[in-house]
Amino acid sequence: MANKRLAMVIDLQKCVGCGACAIACKTENNTQTRARGQTFNWADYVFKTEGTFPNVKFAAIPVLCNHCDEAACVQACPEPKALYKTEEGITMYNKKYCLGQTCRKCLIDVKNKCPYSSENAEKEGVPYSVISWNQIDVKTQEVWQDKTELIKGATASPAEVAAKTGTTPANKHAYEYKDDRPPINWPKGKKVSGKGAVADVRSDNGVDKCLFCIHRIRNGEEPYCVVSCPAKARTVGDKNDPNSEVSKLIAKYKPMRLKNNKGEWLKDEEIEKSTKPNVYYIRSFKAEAKSG
Amino acid sequence: MLQELYDPDRIKVPMKRTNPQKGRGVDPKFVPITWDEALDTIADKMMELRKNNESHKFMLARGRYSPTTTDIAYGTMAKVFGSPNNMSHSSICAEAEKFGPYYTEGYWGYRDYDLARTKYLVIWGCDPLSSNRMVPNTINKFGDILDRGTIAVVDPRLSAAGAKAQEWLPIKPGEDGALATAIAHVILTEGMWSKEFVGDFKDGKNLFKAGQTVDEAAFAEKHTNGLVKWWNLELKDRTPEWAEKVTLIPKDQIIRVAKGMGKAAPNVAVWLGPGPVMSPRGAYPSFAIHALNGLLGSVDNEGGTLRNSKVPKGKMPSFDAYMDAVAKEYSKKPKIDQRGRKEFPVIASGKAGSGVITNNIANAVNAADPYDIKVFISYWSNFNFSCTGADRWDKAMAKIPFFAHITTNPAEMTQFADIVLPAAHHATQKMSIIDNKGNLHAHLSIQQPVVGRLWQEKADETEIMFLIAERLKAKGFPNIYDYFTKEIKDPETGKNPATAEEFAEIVNKIYSMPAWKPKEPLKGDKLDGWDDFKKKGIYNSEPYEFRKLWGKFGKEVEKDGKKEIEGTVTKKFEFYSETLKMALQGHADKHKTTIDDVLQASGYLAKGDMAFVPHYEPPKRWGDEKEYPYTFIDYKSRLNREGRSQNCTWYQEFKKVDVGDESWDDVIKINPVDAKKLGIKTGDMVKVTSQTGSITVKAKLWEGVRPGTVAKCYGQGHWAYGRIAAKDYSKFLPRGGNNNDLMPDDYERLTGSTARNGGFTGVKIQKV
Repeated sequence: MANKRLAMVIDLQKCVGCGACAIACKTENNTQTRARGQTFNWADYVFKTEGTFPNVKFAAIPVLCNHCDEAACVQACPEPKALYKTEEGITMYNKKYCLGQTCRKCLIDVKNKCPYSSENAEKEGVPYSVISWNQIDVKTQEVWQDKTELIKGATASPAEVAAKTGTTPANKHAYEYKDDRPPINWPKGKKVSGKGAVADVRSDNGVDKCLFCIHRIRNGEEPYCVVSCPAKARTVGDKNDPNSEVSKLIAKYKPMRLKNNKGEWLKDEEIEKSTKPNVYYIRSFKAEAKSG
Repeated sequence: MLQELYDPDRIKVPMKRTNPQKGRGVDPKFVPITWDEALDTIADKMMELRKNNESHKFMLARGRYSPTTTDIAYGTMAKVFGSPNNMSHSSICAEAEKFGPYYTEGYWGYRDYDLARTKYLVIWGCDPLSSNRMVPNTINKFGDILDRGTIAVVDPRLSAAGAKAQEWLPIKPGEDGALATAIAHVILTEGMWSKEFVGDFKDGKNLFKAGQTVDEAAFAEKHTNGLVKWWNLELKDRTPEWAEKVTLIPKDQIIRVAKGMGKAAPNVAVWLGPGPVMSPRGAYPSFAIHALNGLLGSVDNEGGTLRNSKVPKGKMPSFDAYMDAVAKEYSKKPKIDQRGRKEFPVIASGKAGSGVITNNIANAVNAADPYDIKVFISYWSNFNFSCTGADRWDKAMAKIPFFAHITTNPAEMTQFADIVLPAAHHATQKMSIIDNKGNLHAHLSIQQPVVGRLWQEKADETEIMFLIAERLKAKGFPNIYDYFTKEIKDPETGKNPATAEEFAEIVNKIYSMPAWKPKEPLKGDKLDGWDDFKKKGIYNSEPYEFRKLWGKFGKEVEKDGKKEIEGTVTKKFEFYSETLKMALQGHADKHKTTIDDVLQASGYLAKGDMAFVPHYEPPKRWGDEKEYPYTFIDYKSRLNREGRSQNCTWYQEFKKVDVGDESWDDVIKINPVDAKKLGIKTGDMVKVTSQTGSITVKAKLWEGVRPGTVAKCYGQGHWAYGRIAAKDYSKFLPRGGNNNDLMPDDYERLTGSTARNGGFTGVKIQKV
């Protein structure tokens, strides 16, 4: 499987902006509730409204990590890199090497920060951020620590539900994925201090982003947002294989790729200097009028 | 669903009220109690009614339900006890949608549409990408229809479907009858009706010319009735020029859409939603819009509008033997909802007084007319939130001396309860059989518990009804319990249920047995017994067969020794509805009056023959345009999931997927032109006031609404339910505002439907 390069194509004509991918992702990956300017939504949306009544154009653009060929976050991440590219092109994360809150170069590095992320989405007024970060010493999934009851003795508290189910969050989807390779650029012969692993629930002092459901990909399954889409708007495959469905779609339609987390598109001349995102968008949300 | 299941604010154990005072904003001071005490209290209150010869003052109301228990628990509890008052939520749903299909083609039900083959889809007053029927199936097929043909969306606000469609017709709210009749006018004058279905002029020459009547004898109809009558009475003057003035849709667009439909016929589906019909004069738009399917020959046809195929369902044994003298006498008292009165014909399925008027129960209780209600049990309902004129429910619920609520969450209605029983979550914790349709198949599916129960919750429709019956027996009234335990038998083992859990499983088995153990092989899926059904989870019928109804839209059947007509009187698709005439005449006879009088009492303007054809009537509006200049548009969220998801963080986080909405908020959308006049900018708090109520919410400037109208999604505005749904549960502070506090209670009286749409609420807007 040399030179495999995973890409996703999102067909905007099929997409209806229903929310299924974003909610499916939260159920699959146990991402927490928005807090402190961090969205914690690995799958999210940009909505655009243009024009004036009655000639209004509205579009939903589903977004996720672009798993860029030249991922800025990977470049920004100091050695030994916690963020790295897997052999199939996933921008992967290994908590073990992450310096956490004191670093956050993937989010704030002047030269190489992720163009699709913001340190504080709320303050910056952007619709989403690919990377969120978990503050040091703040328990992740903190809403489940709450011990208050609305009606004493008759309704539960979040902490009680979590205790009852034995998991945090209570609706946790347990999964395991161990990355059995050392990070890339690891000096030959140098001892690897341990194998990376993806936790189904993130802990504090680390970054938090879409991992393309690597735990499913490596099992031969598609990411959960893909299988959950009722419109079948998402296609995943190897863009280096000209016979793959994604290659065919990219060839058939003039695809667009996102420039930033404001919903702007990369212009043709900007692609070369871009991070080379691997999420492609085809067609448009609003159908073109039929002629005749 | 996951978040609903693990919602921390779910009620764990039964509780009782310790504050005798009841009202909105009054803390009930609930304390936990045992199931034993809760059931004892309920049974005692019920027994008191029997003792005092007022068993009819018992009411049982359901919200969400599975058809499994329609006959068994919901259907028997009240009757065998001696009350006529088992009340369903259905008329706050969309009964008026069924009016058009019934009085044209004799079908009282929601339609299926052949989306895989349609070439022109007209979505009228709903957003099937967000709500209405079989949403995922529609989402799945939508993009392909845009490739194959055209989608036109008639909706006063920009919906998800409207945003994607080639044609958006932002109609002035409530003027849908004008648009439908104008489209019909164009189809006829252009000669684009279905010759195969409707027929043709005898000499082949199109005589439909604007303003000119046509000789009925000149046209030979095939499968329809009264086309020329309809033309002469109504359509001849309904020109697109006229409709432009009324609907504010440009005449060119009306003509373009009508011709597009005509060209694609018969592969055209006119998808009728609640928007144009759940309004005080909504029956006739329902009639007019559905009639377009008849004109185009798309009824029961490829790419058109369909009924469901049938799924076999089991019958529950009769409870007649358990009706004692009291039950027989008191269950015949008039029902509390005042159905069947002159001003409430409610001619569901062609029979006067046959449908429920859910929202009118509050008025009836408040006026104690026909009598007062003393004991009320309700499950999975929240009328104080979900019904328009919500404040009337606050009064009514405070007035009812004893109320037991079976609910997952401490809802608005729960705040008025004396006893609260924890309900199992419907989709994940209890067993029920669901029938549904879509994509040309009918389905019988089973919902089974996927997880254990966390607390002391029980299944509302089955287990709890059984436990109440058992307790009534202990108090000296054994009839319901005896019926449950002697007549109900496991269809496989013949065993009677001994516990509530066994009862729950057996009724599900009885109801679904014809699917998994049919007497004769079925044409759909082959299932091998109960376990196989449970494993597969669903029975799919054979696919729909087209054009089987043509020529057979009605038939004579024998019912209780009497000949009756099932479907339409003429057996044809009726543009001039003899079926409607018969139903209205039946109601008029009952009240010894005329049809004209009945219609007037029901708020309609039609006189004479006009009553029997689809025609335009101007909408009724609460509040004159001077004082209440903006027309309020209410619509459904794609995340509402029957109104039980607002306490989920995912609902709030992704509220923005409702076109134009904001996460964690509840915004009223105002056109920037109007906002400028009002001096309002996005983010300002505004007070929105109707004739009957007001709410204070955030304003959002939005080009997706017509100037003169404002739109707000229904769903937010909970002042109870849980810590996420309400802004502050302990202080009864809502997150946003409930549209039902704004909209007055009014009705489509021919179906009993609660008005929600059709621009019937005028509002004024002030910056606060």
